[in-house]
Amino acid sequence: MSGGFDRLLDSVVRIDVSEVNFDEGARRIDASIGSGVILSQDGLILTNAHVVGPRAFEINVTLSNLERVGAKLIGWDHWTDLSLLRINLDDAKRRGLAFKHAEFGDSDRLYVGETVFAVGTPHGLTRTVTRGIISNNNRYFEDTEGVDGYETGNFNTWLQTDAAINPGNSGGPLVTEDGRIVGITSRAYLGANNLGFAIPSSIARRVVAGLVHDGSITRSYIGIVPKALQDLEGFFDVATNTGMLVDSVESGSPAALAGIRAGDIILAIDGKKVDGRFPEQLPSIENLIASQPVGSTLALAYKRGSAEASATLVTSRLESRMGEEWVSETWGISVRKVSPAFARENQLRDDTGVLVIGVQRGFPADVAGLSRGDIITKINQSPVVSLDVIKAIDAAYGARPAPTLFEVQRERRVSLIVLKP
Amino acid sequence: MKRIAPILAAAASLWVPRSHAADLPALWAERAKCTVAVEYVTQTELERRPTVAYGTVVDSAGTIILPSAAIDLRVAPGQIKDFKVYLPGDPEGSPAEYLGRDAYTGWHFVRASPSIVGRLVPVTAFVGPGAPREPDLAEEVWGVGLRNKDEDFTPYILQSHVALVQALPQRTAIAQQEVAGPGLPVFDREGRFVGLGASSFGQTFLEFSGAERGGSPIMLVNLEESSAFLVASEVLPYIGRIPKNVFGRPLAWLGAYGLEPMDREVAAFLKLESQSGAVVSEVLEGSPAEKAGMKARDIILGVDGKALPRFRPDRVVVDYVERLIAARAPGDTMALSVLRGADRLELRAALEEEPRLVREANRMYFEKIGFTAREFVYGDAIARHSRAGELSGVVAHLVKPNSPADIAGLRPDDWIKEIDGAAIPDFAAAVAKLSSIEKDAFRAETVFLVSRGSDTAVLRIKLR
Repeated sequence: MSGGFDRLLDSVVRIDVSEVNFDEGARRIDASIGSGVILSQDGLILTNAHVVGPRAFEINVTLSNLERVGAKLIGWDHWTDLSLLRINLDDAKRRGLAFKHAEFGDSDRLYVGETVFAVGTPHGLTRTVTRGIISNNNRYFEDTEGVDGYETGNFNTWLQTDAAINPGNSGGPLVTEDGRIVGITSRAYLGANNLGFAIPSSIARRVVAGLVHDGSITRSYIGIVPKALQDLEGFFDVATNTGMLVDSVESGSPAALAGIRAGDIILAIDGKKVDGRFPEQLPSIENLIASQPVGSTLALAYKRGSAEASATLVTSRLESRMGEEWVSETWGISVRKVSPAFARENQLRDDTGVLVIGVQRGFPADVAGLSRGDIITKINQSPVVSLDVIKAIDAAYGARPAPTLFEVQRERRVSLIVLKP
Repeated sequence: MKRIAPILAAAASLWVPRSHAADLPALWAERAKCTVAVEYVTQTELERRPTVAYGTVVDSAGTIILPSAAIDLRVAPGQIKDFKVYLPGDPEGSPAEYLGRDAYTGWHFVRASPSIVGRLVPVTAFVGPGAPREPDLAEEVWGVGLRNKDEDFTPYILQSHVALVQALPQRTAIAQQEVAGPGLPVFDREGRFVGLGASSFGQTFLEFSGAERGGSPIMLVNLEESSAFLVASEVLPYIGRIPKNVFGRPLAWLGAYGLEPMDREVAAFLKLESQSGAVVSEVLEGSPAEKAGMKARDIILGVDGKALPRFRPDRVVVDYVERLIAARAPGDTMALSVLRGADRLELRAALEEEPRLVREANRMYFEKIGFTAREFVYGDAIARHSRAGELSGVVAHLVKPNSPADIAGLRPDDWIKEIDGAAIPDFAAAVAKLSSIEKDAFRAETVFLVSRGSDTAVLRIKLR
């Protein structure tokens, strides 16, 4: 193998993560293993967001020389399933630990049939190399699973490979024979043979640059759910390879406010012609919209029925449906703040309240009848507009337990519940 | 209520008081004549499904009451047909007419054909003089059960003792064992009518596998016999509530949606120790409750100046309030005492006719596309968090498996707002549009815009 490949092998790490989990109505610790690749001599490591996220409180990386060193999360982007860590350089220096770093290759130049290697820690087997080819360099799939409840977005297509990818490979690099990173392996069909998927390096490079800069990626949102126009050109009377169908418009979104409706065909964005004929073409259009600075004015040319029209809208910031989580050890309940996106998806009146995500058996919340999926809208008649409201009441309860009145919404039914010591 | 008096008069002539314990088999044989099995067919686009329920004859015109659970309320009356009445032990049924459901009692009313009325005996024949009596604790009671159709609905006797009488919210006696088929009468040792078998009280029991040691127990429910019965005073005053039409109209409507009980802990917290109450989850748009100034999250504490009574369990109060509404007619006033935050308010609601229900909605099946379009009614708008004023489009009521509509991704309950790019203002417009699509033999596709939850979808339905 090439010198570049040897260098790559020396830059792949195993990542051991301990993270907090709130699902059971209590604070629990989960441990997991993944892979990552060192990108620079100042210790940046790229991995998947589903390997290391904000719930991680202890991250240890095992270098190629089998030495272990701590790391911390620099930032994550669940929309593309990427996270960036940094090795504890002081510790590494003090202990005289050396490591190498790998270089990005160009994923746009990969051809189908090209040999690639996946390097990682499948099932905990550190520094495993598997070989395969690029099976498809433009794979579209809608990831409905997300990252621990956080959304992944259709901002890119994926590389598909038949190099063996197993649980634990996640976050490891997919490389060409010269050892250059062309993808980050992150998905595989379990139970299938050799159907693995990697995030292309063209996307990973941009995300890394953004995460280094400010720890997160800011994207624009307009609230359109697109659909491929495939076979519907005739029905909508548009020329082949023209336009993108609007399948859904999220209520209250910039697109909705601008009057865009489901069934419209977007013909151009800021004068640039849009071609959304096939599903594979949708991610680049979504990425084009998302990469506008938040607050940009976009001009959309669209067709509705036989008429063409245009609308201008101002993009807002893309936000996750996942709110901040917290656990009350006194009540035995874990909650997540209702976010505007969650409220919209669930047709709630507004984003007041916290969603119950776990209840611990035998604790006051369980005894009073609270259950997972309930939304706590008021406590002691104060609207729960933020986690601080519930934290303050919990603290007061902890100091001096007294019956506490919860207003709870379950589906559309509102009930009152008293939690008692 | 006018028709009850002559019936009771006729009943009195049949009544023979006895001073000592009567011959039970003879009493049973006589009283089995006021029971019938009622068979009907639910006919949808895709299937024809027969159902059997048990009923009690309540007057000399051959009127029969069936318990609420005997007929699924979601099914449109037009889809339940071919009613037949079977006398106990008789394999031949005779046609009967479905009269509708009474909202207050929940009973369905059926009328037997004149040809067999002479062979029926109304349960009122066994009422006895004076006010209906409530059975005593531990009193021996017995009732009628009917075997299945393959045994010609042969009548049999069930016998037990009263264990408890409770308000749920109707006075309900709970016996130690099964005492009657659901909807069939219960009598005391003297043969006097004391109640009607309750339908939602099927006894559950566990059965252990004999073949497998330590095997998991199976929970079985006895749906054909009940151990609970509504006492006679909850039955006799209401047997004259024969619906005027199959929809049970008029229906009184308040529009306080999602009533939830206020439990004891909450009452104590709100310093309402002696009170019972019901939390209003939502106040429906345009409803009498809204016009009366009711707000979501108000707690109803009293009706017509009377505090809501306490029940065990707490949730019975919801049924109690709903029955207070159902007992009234559109146009009646309902005075409501509510708690809003720390304030007590007195509201007066003028009840109105309930908006068109899903089971009353027009519907039509489109064979080629493979779905049933149903009129979009008020309840659909409420279910979809939509403005009640925007009653437009149609609902996909049923999607035939593997039909073009199914393959295109249409799902039951999808709200179809546009067809081929044109807005659908109402059911008639949808029928006209869909009919013309189905008639066009050269038509290759149709495109629906549907709303589903907070999203919409553009569905392309290939017809060829």
